[in-house]
Amino acid sequence: MAFALEFFLRRISQGVLIVLAVAFVIFTLLRIAPGDPIRIILGPMATPSAMEETAERLGLRDPIPMQFLRYLGDIAKGDFGNSFIRGKQGGTTGGSQDAAGSPPVERAPVIELIAKALPYTLLLAACGFLLACLVSIPLGIMAGVKNSGWPQKVALYLSSLLVSLPNVWVGIVLIYLLSARTGWLPAIGYQHIGYVIIPAIVVAVELAPVMIRSISVAVATNVQDPFYEIGQVRGLSARTMLFRHVLRNAAVPLLNSFGAQMIGMLLGGLFVVEYIFSFPGIGLLTINAVFQRDFPVIQTVAIFASTVLVFINIAVDFASTTIDRRLKF
Amino acid sequence: MAAELLLKVENLSISLGSGEAARTLISNVAFEVRPKSVLGIIGESGSGKTLLSRALVNWVRPPLRVTSGRVIYQGRDLLELPEADMARLRGREIAYIGANPTTALDPTMPVGHQIEEKLRTIEPDLPRREARQRVIDLLDAVRIPSARSRFDEYPFQFSGGMMQRAMIVDALISKPKLLVADNITQPLDVTVAAQILRLLRDLQRDFGTSIVFVSSSFGTIVEVADEVVVLDKGTIVEAQDTGSIQKNPVHPYTKELLAKVPRLWHDVGSVPETNAEPVVLSVRDVAKTYEVKDRASLFRKNRVQAVRGVSFDVRRGESLGLIGESGCGKSTLSRLLSSLESPDRGAIEVNGVDVATLRGDALLSMRRRFQLLLQDPYNSIPSHVSIGATIAEPLRIHRLATGQQLRERVCEVMREVGLPPDLYDALPVGLSAGQRQRVNIARAMVLEPSVLILDETLSALDQVEQAKLLDLFDSLQRKHGITYLYISHDLAMVRRACARIAVMYLGKIVEIGDNETIFDAPAHPYTRTLLSSVSTVEAKPFLPRDYLLEGEPPDPIHIPGGCSFRSRCPFVIDTCRTVEPTLSIKAGGTATACHLDVDRLPAPSILAKARIGAAPKRMDSL
Repeated sequence: MAFALEFFLRRISQGVLIVLAVAFVIFTLLRIAPGDPIRIILGPMATPSAMEETAERLGLRDPIPMQFLRYLGDIAKGDFGNSFIRGKQGGTTGGSQDAAGSPPVERAPVIELIAKALPYTLLLAACGFLLACLVSIPLGIMAGVKNSGWPQKVALYLSSLLVSLPNVWVGIVLIYLLSARTGWLPAIGYQHIGYVIIPAIVVAVELAPVMIRSISVAVATNVQDPFYEIGQVRGLSARTMLFRHVLRNAAVPLLNSFGAQMIGMLLGGLFVVEYIFSFPGIGLLTINAVFQRDFPVIQTVAIFASTVLVFINIAVDFASTTIDRRLKF
Repeated sequence: MAAELLLKVENLSISLGSGEAARTLISNVAFEVRPKSVLGIIGESGSGKTLLSRALVNWVRPPLRVTSGRVIYQGRDLLELPEADMARLRGREIAYIGANPTTALDPTMPVGHQIEEKLRTIEPDLPRREARQRVIDLLDAVRIPSARSRFDEYPFQFSGGMMQRAMIVDALISKPKLLVADNITQPLDVTVAAQILRLLRDLQRDFGTSIVFVSSSFGTIVEVADEVVVLDKGTIVEAQDTGSIQKNPVHPYTKELLAKVPRLWHDVGSVPETNAEPVVLSVRDVAKTYEVKDRASLFRKNRVQAVRGVSFDVRRGESLGLIGESGCGKSTLSRLLSSLESPDRGAIEVNGVDVATLRGDALLSMRRRFQLLLQDPYNSIPSHVSIGATIAEPLRIHRLATGQQLRERVCEVMREVGLPPDLYDALPVGLSAGQRQRVNIARAMVLEPSVLILDETLSALDQVEQAKLLDLFDSLQRKHGITYLYISHDLAMVRRACARIAVMYLGKIVEIGDNETIFDAPAHPYTRTLLSSVSTVEAKPFLPRDYLLEGEPPDPIHIPGGCSFRSRCPFVIDTCRTVEPTLSIKAGGTATACHLDVDRLPAPSILAKARIGAAPKRMDSL
């Protein structure tokens, strides 16, 4: 108990610092990058004085640290700001359609945009991850237990094949084969759960090779540990040793690669896949925001992503120390 | 007769690989094990002991292959048995304990839970609470202190000795008829090994288990076995009962093995003597405490008192031995002495200069005079660097030689330590452990050190190689006047090599004296305990029944007040509980930290004493 309390106190305080640092870097980079968001908000026809007025009103002419502190203060109040571009009713309201510029209050709050997109992304991530697990867990375990035989060969060839397919290409080919050509599955946008299948396959194709590889390596390492064979001499079945002991030991390196590598891959993969499929999740929201220089959306998504990463890693480390008491954090 | 046999091995041969390249490792081995008896199998490393003991539980895996023979257990050939039938015997009627208890269990699960898991696999109907109680009872029976809380502790929290006890519990929980014990005392301290042997004998009597006890130490075998078979290069060369094999060994190999058993009291020959040269190394009240996190409480750290005020002097050309059980602070002390770490208090003076005051070049040149040799000959040499370059590296670091001169200097040292100079450009791949250790010695000697710290340097080598290297150290000492600090748990080696010996317990020296006094007339009960627990084939002056300790040293976080040895001392008196004894000169000339008068301890065994008197007086050592 004491250990858990101290662990979380220490790690959460560290995590908050990390998130703050990430937020500051992103905030600054967005503001020093070329391209003026005011020009995008007001469109090419806006007068310099109107632009200056809007910039003043949005606080974009203050020194960056001051803007950042004000932003943090707003976040503390639960206000992540409003989109520069998107209107409350949805749809893009920037540029030429709204040359006069509407007051920011009518623009959609970022938090609402995220809340609307998040469930789609979670659904896609969960389906993709589940699909990847379905293939890679059994295959990885079988390949790890014996370092010869067909499961090992299948695992090796399959993961080599999958790792060399770019997800953009896989996405387009699947759209062509499963949707455009045969009409089996819907592909673009989202109307019902069927729309998630093809994108989920693409996400799974990206995750599976890494998972197969790390599962089989982790299992193989532990199968070579003396306790696995000795356990069988002690009178326990190979099955018990595998499922109760080897997998338990293998979970520690797997959790680490999950926290360090796979979550990052999953996030990156989702952005690309959502864009290809016009899937209305966080990824599509962010990519559009980047094209439109919608600062509040970009920085909020970035802060959310880093928070998720930091906390998943805290959870992963806690799970690891709980499984293997020799580990210290 | 035959019906009474529990196990009968017939004509067993095992080889490595197949076809033309096959190498026979065990050939035509045959022996019998009667119910309720202990059969000892003795053999040196490489004799095929472990392989043979694994064959007894049908645990021979490719590329190893049984090429002929039968292992008949109660009328059934185990080697022919279907896997399912074998699985019904393994861990149930036939149990196996290996040499390395620390890797035998899943490191992520509590020890007790894993034994309980095994018990409930064997007896699926046993309720969990009952199973747990039975495990705890047996943990208690093998004298694991506070068995109930130990039940929930993890393998890494157990010492080697505790873990081996747990493995004995694991083996005996199913009340097996046959127990195969493969070199189970090898990694343990002498005191712990002695306890384990006694325990095994008691349990064997109580449970009526037959034991096949495999070991490389004659001294250990004769303490437990009823009959002994001698294994040499995969063949049995002799089989006799324990009493007669000691008195009348027939085969030359058995005689050779018996002769190789190190002697501590009889026919020891000359022992090194102290000298009156100037003091080279002076250690003054050195202490070191480490802090480790306490998992059970918030923000608290435990203080591990590894070394608690150690003082001694070593003279030029002298050898000092530091002995004690694992965890007594020997290795921490060696790290302090080689300035890998600095002590919390106290001073280490080399030729009168406090090492802690040295910086930069002065420290570097001091280090040149002060070399450390470690135990592991494999990991201490880079495998991708040529032997010559490895030995030359210190010369480069200290900028002592270059070019042709460097090569000559290295070749000279290689010759001196017994390495052929043609190995200069070879990689260390394929060198034996002994040769590798010689590379280490050469790498240290190339700097012409005045002090060598030998931290278990010879422990990983077999007795023949050990003897050769001890001779080498002797001649180097004579030639260069080097001072040695032997840090070891091997009493026989220290007996042969050291002029003075310091005995450590829980981070302190409890007794220090010259070789003769420490071995023949020690005044501290702990020294006597160590001597009583040595496995030898000779009569000992100090008998295990007078001194044998229970348990292990307290952990260095919770050191008892008063005398730190009091929790295990069989002769404890009231003063011990409150007053910590300081080193004081006792009869016999040793400095001893003990409140007791020597006369209050049991007198050395008469038998052994008479033999010591009769032994030829030692010759001059130098």
